[in-house]
Amino acid sequence: MAQWQIAMIMMIGYLVVALFIGVLAGRNQDKSSLEEFTTAKGNLGLFVMWFLMGGAVFSAFSFLGAPGWAFSRGAPALYIITYTAFAILPWYIIGPKIGAIGRKHNIYTVAGFLQLRYSSRVIAMIIGIVALLASIQYLATQMKGMAYIFNIMTEGRIPFWLGALLSYGIVVVYVATGGLRAAAWSDVFQGILMIVISWTVGLTIVNQLHDSVPNMFRNLTQDNPGFLQIGAEGSTMSTMAYTTTILVSTIGFLMWPHLFSKSYATKARTIKKTVLVYPMFALFLIPLLFVGFSAVNVIQSDQIGSPDEILPYLITTVLTLPGWVYGLVGAGALAAAMSTADAITHSASLEFTDGLIRNVKKDLSSKATLLIMRIGVFVIGGLAYFITVFGGQGLIALLLGAYGSIVQFAPGVYGALYSKKITAPAVITGLISGTVVNYYFQLVADAPPLDINPGILGLIVNVGLVVLISAFSQGKEMPMAEEYRKIGS
Amino acid sequence: MTKQKFIKIYCLSLTIPFLLLVFPLFSIANRETPFIIGLPFSVFWVIFWIVVTFIIVLFLYKIDPDKDEKEVH
Repeated sequence: MAQWQIAMIMMIGYLVVALFIGVLAGRNQDKSSLEEFTTAKGNLGLFVMWFLMGGAVFSAFSFLGAPGWAFSRGAPALYIITYTAFAILPWYIIGPKIGAIGRKHNIYTVAGFLQLRYSSRVIAMIIGIVALLASIQYLATQMKGMAYIFNIMTEGRIPFWLGALLSYGIVVVYVATGGLRAAAWSDVFQGILMIVISWTVGLTIVNQLHDSVPNMFRNLTQDNPGFLQIGAEGSTMSTMAYTTTILVSTIGFLMWPHLFSKSYATKARTIKKTVLVYPMFALFLIPLLFVGFSAVNVIQSDQIGSPDEILPYLITTVLTLPGWVYGLVGAGALAAAMSTADAITHSASLEFTDGLIRNVKKDLSSKATLLIMRIGVFVIGGLAYFITVFGGQGLIALLLGAYGSIVQFAPGVYGALYSKKITAPAVITGLISGTVVNYYFQLVADAPPLDINPGILGLIVNVGLVVLISAFSQGKEMPMAEEYRKIGS
Repeated sequence: MTKQKFIKIYCLSLTIPFLLLVFPLFSIANRETPFIIGLPFSVFWVIFWIVVTFIIVLFLYKIDPDKDEKEVH
């Protein structure tokens, strides 16, 4: 049997198992319960929670992008493990607080959380729309990863559109039927698979190319001095860009609705224990960076289309590995992409329904809401699919802008948690201005001043405006402000 | 220990390793040599402080006065 056949059989086998686990997890649960669909009734256990949050780390970006960064940029790739280790830490403090507020007031989204605190429907609607657009962008990246891996591992026999359809179609099915619980249990399976694969395959590649890890680094520092030094001659990133990229990723991480909303899905103790082990997840990514480092000077960058292709390229073209390794890597990459895609699809549907639809049409029963959310999963899945496969430049720019603006939720969220003075007009103005600034420096201007990350520039403007406008717009009653601040502190 | 005090200790003790991993403080470690356990110094430094952070969080959890956040107000 040819190698691509073995790989294809293994990947399809993996997809069948993933579908099975997802559908099985949602079985025997109350299918008509909005609470079950949105937050798994707030009783997800520790083990599942680890992987549900871990799924955010094990994405197509980490599996394909991290080796790509290490290969093309060197030391700046260290930003990935740095922010992964630290971004979760605030959750220890804010997670239980958000969870307590949510349980008391039946909230299960970011939009709902901000709407109640600021007594503002406009905020919820903005969040609903931004979350939808940003999620579609995020999904498109994951789906590209899935389709790409299918394509290359079967040596081009499964076309791009079919690979994306197969793998993402399965995600849509189990999320729509089983809600959060199905996503969570699939993530456990996918997370374990990805960790095992990245270590075994990652270290095998390093050893085949350079005999050992120390040897690889010795070769690298000899041939490319400065490559492992940020901001040095021959480096690809300035120290300012490195630092602000870590900052923006760390602050933005918990603002993603699919992570923020997990605060509602479990108990305080489980949140804390999840934070406890999370820095370890960052270390699981190390072999993926090593793969990228190992390819420097072995592969010329013009041999591959983009740096993200380095891992699959090494496996299929450079190394002599048996077909089952193709299959394993394929399955691991699919697992990484799917465990991220399921959580995002789920939360995008929730945020859009709760933030926009429920504010436009106010008297929805919880049964109707649940139905809209289920349909939303299919609609969002379809949209993301068509954008991935057919894409359009203008559209992609719009989505990128939304993607970069998630971090701009931060002042509103932290203001809601810790201040009773922040007002709705301040948060709205800050959010919009921050988004515009980010968009301008990311996509319009040539280079941001001082090489500061555009998201941080936006955040500076955002925070400044929130503080300033809050001072001038006191007066309107905010009945929840004091309660939000007091709960859980 | 009160909860407010714990939150302060939590934030402070985790800000320190974070600052060591971003500039300006990361300049201390932003170089290739010496190699430690086969890793360039910068790579070793990042991994080392992530492991230390892991240990700090374990310790913080141990001294957390209210692990369950009992919802009484």
